[in-house]
Amino acid sequence: MQCKSCNTELPKGAKVCPKCGELIDDKHSGNLKVIAVIGLVIALVGGLLPFVQNTDEITDAYSFMSIDMPVLWYIQIVVIVAAILLLVARRDMLSIIPTAISAIIFIVAFVAMDFRLYSSRNAFKTFKLTDLLSKPEYTIGAGTYVFILGIIIAIVGCFIDIMKYFKKDLGVDKRFLTNSINQSIWKKMYYYRGFYLMFLPVLIMVLLFNYWPMLGCRYAFTKYVIKGPYYAGLYHFNQMFTNDIYFWQAFKNTLILSIIKLILNTGAAVIISLLLNEIVSLGFKKTVQTIVYLPHFMSWVVVASVFKMILDPNPTGVVNSILLNWHIIDEPIFFLGSEQYWRGTFYVMNVWKDTGWGTILFLATLSGISPDLYEAAQIDGANRWKRLIYITLPALANTIITVFILNLAKVMNLFESVFVTMNNAVLNVAQVLQTYIYNKTFSSGNSDYGYSTAVGLFKSFVGMILVLGCNYASKKVRGRGIV
Amino acid sequence: MSDNTVVVAKKKKKIKIFPIVNAVLFILISLAIMLPIWKVIVDSFDARSAYSFKWLPSQFTWSGYNAIISRSALYKPFYISCITTVIGTFVGLLLVTLGGYVLIQWEMPGRNFFAYMLLFTMIFDGGMIPKYLVMKNLNLINTIWAVILPMAINVYNLVLMRNFFEGIPESLFEAAQIDGCSPMGIFFKIVLPLSKAALASIGLMFAVQFWNDYTNFKIYINKNDLWNFQIRLRAMVMESDVPNDDAVDPNTISSAAVIVAILPFAIIYPFCQKYFVQGVNVGAVKE
Repeated sequence: MQCKSCNTELPKGAKVCPKCGELIDDKHSGNLKVIAVIGLVIALVGGLLPFVQNTDEITDAYSFMSIDMPVLWYIQIVVIVAAILLLVARRDMLSIIPTAISAIIFIVAFVAMDFRLYSSRNAFKTFKLTDLLSKPEYTIGAGTYVFILGIIIAIVGCFIDIMKYFKKDLGVDKRFLTNSINQSIWKKMYYYRGFYLMFLPVLIMVLLFNYWPMLGCRYAFTKYVIKGPYYAGLYHFNQMFTNDIYFWQAFKNTLILSIIKLILNTGAAVIISLLLNEIVSLGFKKTVQTIVYLPHFMSWVVVASVFKMILDPNPTGVVNSILLNWHIIDEPIFFLGSEQYWRGTFYVMNVWKDTGWGTILFLATLSGISPDLYEAAQIDGANRWKRLIYITLPALANTIITVFILNLAKVMNLFESVFVTMNNAVLNVAQVLQTYIYNKTFSSGNSDYGYSTAVGLFKSFVGMILVLGCNYASKKVRGRGIV
Repeated sequence: MSDNTVVVAKKKKKIKIFPIVNAVLFILISLAIMLPIWKVIVDSFDARSAYSFKWLPSQFTWSGYNAIISRSALYKPFYISCITTVIGTFVGLLLVTLGGYVLIQWEMPGRNFFAYMLLFTMIFDGGMIPKYLVMKNLNLINTIWAVILPMAINVYNLVLMRNFFEGIPESLFEAAQIDGCSPMGIFFKIVLPLSKAALASIGLMFAVQFWNDYTNFKIYINKNDLWNFQIRLRAMVMESDVPNDDAVDPNTISSAAVIVAILPFAIIYPFCQKYFVQGVNVGAVKE
């Protein structure tokens, strides 16, 4: 058994890693309070959903983001994130405090604060909750229920684990504790002061370019045209799921293009690496490898340009002129400009670019198979085919699954390769979610950032589920997650 | 007796067929990869547009490459590409080495928090538009920092660097510590000198990413004079926007531009192949 955080081999029965002081997860002690974390995330989402909703007009909704003191919402986020972090850091007792604070903030915001409605730039009317609810068309929105549910789950989750915490006997063998664990945390922090300074630039960059945009997801619940963002409830999601056929088409295309691409690329890479492994002459093998890896270093723009030049429907395009000369076709084919051929061409370009590079991992695995196995099989009379089926493929299976999982997690990220090869004639088969977001935002005059953010949020959400699913699968298959 | 020899001969022949077929197959595959590129190379040296495949240019000329060197609409993007690649690779390497070194300090308080914080960015992503709005708020739109900074903080490469650092034997750190070396001293005197291969590997990955960057330029830059070579190339090939006088065939210039875009890494890569390959392998073994 290995320590989860530092990968050192552990002595049998150790409850604490001798090297890094990490508690070791048994199946019995759920250290990460999954239930509580889920509850807090639900509460976080609940804060974005409408608290009060006009049943007739979906844009007429009020939430944390439209209460009179916007800073409360930021405090709320900070508090919930703090609670999640405390849970992850296994301070389950402490995390009750921010959870309770967030519940109190919610009640204060809900009861005592005014909601405001933007009427024009920098001018808004305010409403009291009671005023709103006294009108028949307003009802309590989904956000309230979701938030309360989330907080309840969080508190229950905390308590379940606190009970466990009291029962749990760590049973730490003193031999497995290094001195450093017993040192005071401040002394340790002082010792590591230089490292905090080293991490500072990374921290700033991550906060600026990764975490700040995450906060920007709130625009998905707003209308954000020229007037600046104002809360619009679930308007965009309603539009997206019920009214926007282009969105569904883009979603469908994303899945089709990237999954078929993934299968073709992986399949081709496996076959090529199996054959490459059979080459005896080392020089020839090296040369072939150098050549097949080469396209990986070309940008998608370059690949698209090269293929555009050779596939051109004008007689300048080599492929068309050859096909015409051999009388296979009578009219030049517009490979990149017709819905019929675009996807096929796209797959060919992908295989051309990335197959070679994809063989690296498979070749590494193949070179690790012991030659004794093949010799023994040969003596037993197994031919090349039998050796492939019974030795090579089983050895390769794990790597194939790993590569597949690693790439499956990136399915939603398809952008550049499609963006540089598509054109208006093939939108129906080529538009993927990311290009849809781009075109919707930057190609039209008055774009609603809120709507594109909503589509992006959906994309990120599906992507997150894929990553977590693949991570879980990866842990099952090879005992190690992908993130 | 004679029967026996026939069988042996047959067997030998049967075994030899496969390597030949295999070799032929790989020659074909190599051709499939090289021929499109060769066609573009030939076109870039050909004064007249090629109407079909030719092994050599019919009318040799340097004018395509001359155009790239002499026309500001073409050499400026090249210059921008070089600048972003150099600065970006430097900043990126700086960040991943610092971050990676901090992440191997297992006993540092908050180390796990930092690790989770970095890993979470691989799970959830703010999305294109919020990122754009952040850039807008930071006033970075239409500056080269808008394309350098978001790509320089690359969590995947950072984890890769950490994995490389983990391979350094623990005893070296301990020995240095006992000899009175400070943590910074260990970083500069032991970790960095021992990680030359890792630095090469990840530095090359960064360089390829920055040189080939198209998306960030497309989103964050909308001024023509800050275009990089990839954007310029796409405008030329896909939108036929070739900065041209009539003297040179536009196809020749576009082809030359494709070759120039490929050239830096086509030259470097055969010598550094092992570093590239190493990066992929380390990345997949441990993430």
